[in-house]
Parts: sequence; C-alpha cells; structure tokens
Amino acid sequence: MSLTDRLEAYLSRIWSTPVAVSDLSRIPGGASRETYRFNAVAEGETRPLILRRDPPGSLIETDRNLEYLAFASFHGSLPVPRPVAMEPEGAELERPFFIMERVDGGAAASPFTVLPYGEHARGIGEQFFRILGTIAGADPTNLPLAKAAERPAPEDCWRIALDHWTKVIEDDQQHPQPIVWAAIRALRRRPPPPAQTVRVVHGDYRTGNFLHDGAGKILAILDWEMVHLGDPLEDLGWAMDPLWGHFEADKVGGMLPRDEALALWREASGLQVDETALAWWSLFNAVKGQAIWTSAAKEYRDGGFKDPVLAISGWYTARRHDQILAEALMRMEGLS
Amino acid sequence: MTPSVPDILVGNFMCMADPGPPEQQGEFLAGKVAVVALLSLLAAQEAERGAAARVTENAAIREILAEAALDYSLQGDWPADPAEPTISGLDRVNAALRLALMNLHEMVEARGDTVRHSSILRLYARMAELRRLDLPPLPGAR
Repeated sequence: MSLTDRLEAYLSRIWSTPVAVSDLSRIPGGASRETYRFNAVAEGETRPLILRRDPPGSLIETDRNLEYLAFASFHGSLPVPRPVAMEPEGAELERPFFIMERVDGGAAASPFTVLPYGEHARGIGEQFFRILGTIAGADPTNLPLAKAAERPAPEDCWRIALDHWTKVIEDDQQHPQPIVWAAIRALRRRPPPPAQTVRVVHGDYRTGNFLHDGAGKILAILDWEMVHLGDPLEDLGWAMDPLWGHFEADKVGGMLPRDEALALWREASGLQVDETALAWWSLFNAVKGQAIWTSAAKEYRDGGFKDPVLAISGWYTARRHDQILAEALMRMEGLS
Repeated sequence: MTPSVPDILVGNFMCMADPGPPEQQGEFLAGKVAVVALLSLLAAQEAERGAAARVTENAAIREILAEAALDYSLQGDWPADPAEPTISGLDRVNAALRLALMNLHEMVEARGDTVRHSSILRLYARMAELRRLDLPPLPGAR
C-alpha cells in the first residue's frame, strides 16, 4: 500500500467522506520528521496540506502531541500554520504523524548559505525577534499547549534542560567528547538565576526554521518539535548561536546586530534580559546542539549510513559546535 | 570521531544507490544530491588533513598528561600512535587519550588548579581548530 493510499484511507475515515490525495512529494531537509506536501480533494474542495511523519530513526526523540498543540496555541496570533490532525499511534500511516495546512510560496534558508535573505535581512530579522518575543510574552496558562506540557518551577528550568541534554550525550556518545563535558561541568558550577517567568520555549527557533516570501515577510514559523515550557532565555540563546549566523559574526542570525535583536525581543515580550543568565543559556545551547549532533551521528550509524542529513549534522555541525564551545569556555575564563 | 570518512563515503553510496519511492524523487532527491555533494567536499578535506590532525592532537594530549603526571599521580601508560597511522587506528588511540584528559581535567577542576585548567581549555580550542571543516560560501536560496 503506497503512502498516497494510506493517506486517502486515513483522511476518508476521519472526514467521513471520500478523499483523493494528489501531488504527494517529500520535502528535503530536517531529520526529525519526514515532511511531505500533498493536496487532499474532498467534496470538490482542494486542501493544500503538509504531512509530518516520524522516520524509522529520528534525530531527536520528541513529543508530537506537544508539537501539535504548539501549532494550535499560536495559529491565529502568529504566522503559524493551522494544525489539522494528529495520530500518536500512527493509525493508517503506521508511524506517528500529524497533518497541518500548507503555506505556499515560501522558502527556508539553509544554515550553510551566506546572505540567505539578501537586502531583506534587516526586515526579516526584526520580524524574527519580535515573533520570538511574542512567544516569550504569551502566558501559557490558557494555551492549548498547557493541557499537556509540564510546567517547571522557575528555579528548576535550567537543571531540567541541562539534565535532559546531558543524558542524550551520555546515551549516544560514540567517541569521548572532552569539550562538551567541560562545558556541562562549567554550567553546573555556575547555574543561572531562576527564570523570571516560565513561558513557552519553541526549542528550535532559528534561521532555517521559518518560511519567508523572498520579499521581506515571514510567512510561517515551523519545526516546533522540541517545544516545552521553560526559561524564555533558552530560545534567545539558541536563536543567537553562532552556528545560525550565516558566517556573519557581527549579526545574530546573519540578520541584526545583537543589541537591536535583544531590544526587539524585550519590547515584544515585556521581559528583561539578564546578561549573566543569557550567557549561561548561550553556553547551554551549544551543549544542546552538541547533544543533537551526537544523536545524529548515532542514528546515522544505526540507520545504515543512509540519511545524508544525519551525516552532515553528526559531522560538520558537531565540529562547528566544538569550536563554539571551546571559544565560549575560553571567554568564560577570560582567556580570549 | 564519528562518523569517519569511510562512514561518510559508504553512506554517500548507500543513500544514492536506493532511488526511493516516487514521492521521494524531484525536490527531495535534488536536496539529497546537494547534501551528498557537500559531504564529499568535506570528506576530501578530512582525507587530506584528518590523519595529521589526529597525530597532532594525540601528541598535544600526551604532553599535557605527562606534564601533570607527577602532581596528579597519573600512571603514564598512555597508548602510542599506531605504526601505520590510519585514521581508524589513530582514533582508537585518541579515544583512550581523550578519556585520560577528561579524567585529568575533572581532577584539575576539583583542585582549583587554574593554571592547568587554562592550559586544558587552550588545548580544547586547539583540538577544535585542528578538526575544523571548511564550508565553501554557498549562495542563499534567494
């Protein structure tokens, strides 16, 4: 049975009407989910949709229910696609998946490119940090996400996050990694202050995880698979990690000077940026990145070396993050 | 270090040998070809520099271990590089040396030995630089 057949069977069942699926095509990029675009035709209406299905081996173990609820939480208030259906057990598609409406006409930047936004970098950067600030400013209490996401105490946010990613490295490390372990110990020696408030953390908010129209407008914020509640500075540290800088050291995300980005975030969120706390979350995010790449290398091997995205993640980005971590450790000790 | 150059090159063959189902042609296949091309380019750098980088790193770790051996009661039985310096052989030695270095660093931190702590951090920066892979300036999509 083809994937098209399976999708038709599933949608026909849940919509209680015959559904025809056409133009099914896998989209490149991303190793945590298989992503497909397709059209579903029912009762004369064509709906452009996206399928996100778990692969046999995943880059990161994530909760698709939380991801689905994150889309439901921000669709309508931010450029976030409308979620359509979610099956944690896989149903007719055999592996867990969810379906959302498709946003056409947009492009996502590869982190390996230079000047991906051209003359629109500043405008896109302003939207990027305002949207992140809006996410951080939202009280999660009444959002759909609050139904399923655990809410940590402000003083526990850092420890929960660090414990989680430390365990990933412990479980998946195949070659000793002294640099990341030095960073983990440094983070534990000097914990950050408690979170000023507990908010929605996208978990992978960076260049490359949004669609833009090529004319300066962000169309959709995507890739919410690591969403959780925590310290809102966590997202800020990840968004500003040098890995996502498109080789422009003087601009965060290759888009804006750091101070301008932080000012936009503060204004949109109504929150403050404690530089000591942000330094902790920045180093933490380099550890988190190294954990993700460590898992990628393991999945690449376990999966028979067939997914080149896992290879590039487990190799090039892992080495880049070793450089970022080593530089951060030197700065922390006043050695550079 | 994983994945190794042989892993990458075998992987490039494996992922291109299987064309996949119809829905994975077109844009997805083009994206896969682009990533495989990038991996091949990086593999060329690793093939050229990888063995020398490991020899240098292993020597630097041995040096810092030897310098600290007396103060920290280290055994000093660190492995030598293989006679034939293949990347896989050097990596086996490197794994043992890195474990010894991590052990030393934890003792250094516990003792508050800031001089050696700084030396080890500088070594980390050098190790990361030695393993650096250089991406070409790929143009943006738009």
